[in-house]
Amino acid sequence: MSPKINLDHIYCQSPDVVSREIEGTIVIIPITAGIGDLENELFSLNDTGKVLWHKLDGTRTLKEIVIELEDQFQSLPEIIEKDVVGLLTELLKRQLILDKSEG
Amino acid sequence: MANAFVSNQSLPDFSLWEKLVDKRTLCSFELEFTARCNLNCRHCYINLPAGDRKARSNELAFDQISRIADEAVSLGAIWCLLNGGEPLLREDFFDIFTALKKKGLLVTVFTNGTLISDRHVQFFKHYPPRDIEMTVYGVTQTTYERITRRPGSYRAFRHGLDLLLSSGIQVTLKAMAMQSNYHEMADISRFCLQYGSRDYRFDPFLHLRYDNDANRNREIIAERLSPEQIITLEESEPSRLEGLRHARIFPGDPGSAKPDVYRIFGCGIGKENCCVSSSGMFSFCSSLRHPDCVYDLKNGSLKEAWEILFPKIRNMRSSRKVYIDNCAECPIINLCRWCPALAHLETGSLDLPVEYFCQTAHDRAKTLKVDQELYKIKIS
Repeated sequence: MSPKINLDHIYCQSPDVVSREIEGTIVIIPITAGIGDLENELFSLNDTGKVLWHKLDGTRTLKEIVIELEDQFQSLPEIIEKDVVGLLTELLKRQLILDKSEG
Repeated sequence: MANAFVSNQSLPDFSLWEKLVDKRTLCSFELEFTARCNLNCRHCYINLPAGDRKARSNELAFDQISRIADEAVSLGAIWCLLNGGEPLLREDFFDIFTALKKKGLLVTVFTNGTLISDRHVQFFKHYPPRDIEMTVYGVTQTTYERITRRPGSYRAFRHGLDLLLSSGIQVTLKAMAMQSNYHEMADISRFCLQYGSRDYRFDPFLHLRYDNDANRNREIIAERLSPEQIITLEESEPSRLEGLRHARIFPGDPGSAKPDVYRIFGCGIGKENCCVSSSGMFSFCSSLRHPDCVYDLKNGSLKEAWEILFPKIRNMRSSRKVYIDNCAECPIINLCRWCPALAHLETGSLDLPVEYFCQTAHDRAKTLKVDQELYKIKIS
């Protein structure tokens, strides 16, 4: 079952992963066991995902991030919100981020 | 829609590699954690006693290793191989391994397995290594301990391996082939395939000591297989022989670009990886110990070493007649173990032929039915 994303919550990158930018590619490398489906995998993000990833620093709600992205991408709020929730669902499912609001 | 943002890809298929193909980027580095070992293998090119104080005092400290790893990461490194000696001998193994992981490195450990304890197993379950590789010296106590010269080591090795496997931690098993275990190589191969997680491989070439210890070098040479024995082992593994067949690219083949034969480093050295010795000497290959080809990281940065040494080594040339006549334009060089690094360990020079390698290459050529008109042995 996919985790539910709440726009009023604060999300942050998991301390159990390291993200690195190599040749313009964001590579997310698990430090501990249990991240992702297989140990033999790395994660990468596309350009839009990369922008969002850098904003997941645990200082603002997802709603605030969506507003920032609306300004940045000049796109319709509902499209931005749908994409952000989609990406966050994937990241949370793979344990690459944490929901700080859930303590 | 979400899948367009994030993707998880298996390591071999990771799209980043395509971007790096044509670039000179540091992708991996080998960290020789210590030259000390709890075993005393008769074929080993590096092992010093576990309690060797001088070796221990020369080892890089945690802070130095951390600084070097930071520099490697800043240059793009994603893989780190922890090698030895026996890396588990170091008391700060756990701290360093964790620090490397937290820098975003995929860490592989080469270990003899005899020191693996429950603590290591719990640790590796929490912080999974990219891989653990162990060498299987023998599958009987007699053979194993004839090589390691440590009573009880076979039992310790099996115990360590069992601890890892029973906890679901995969291990890659491999072998070194030598006189002391030649008779057991078929059983070793079966053992490795049964318990190992990846393709089994063996190495039949024992190279000489980094410290140039004459007595130990004599022991190594005594353990070397003859070219005929090497061929016999290779013939028993069709895939290996097939690999050699594909490696048989003659410099003079029609259509092939003629390489600069006077340039002694004809391999891809310095393109994507490097090594750091236990005392902090940087080189582009763990076997490359020639003083002109190393850089002291205790007195300089890895970035300097990476940039300064590369053009120097790539431009090393030789016009020595014995090199030109025997190696530089040898049509079966790709069947030969010869390289400047090993030539230096064998002869003291980077550009001298090594008769043992030469003989083995020619025997391989015969086995592969290479046209004998193309080559002849010139060393006398």
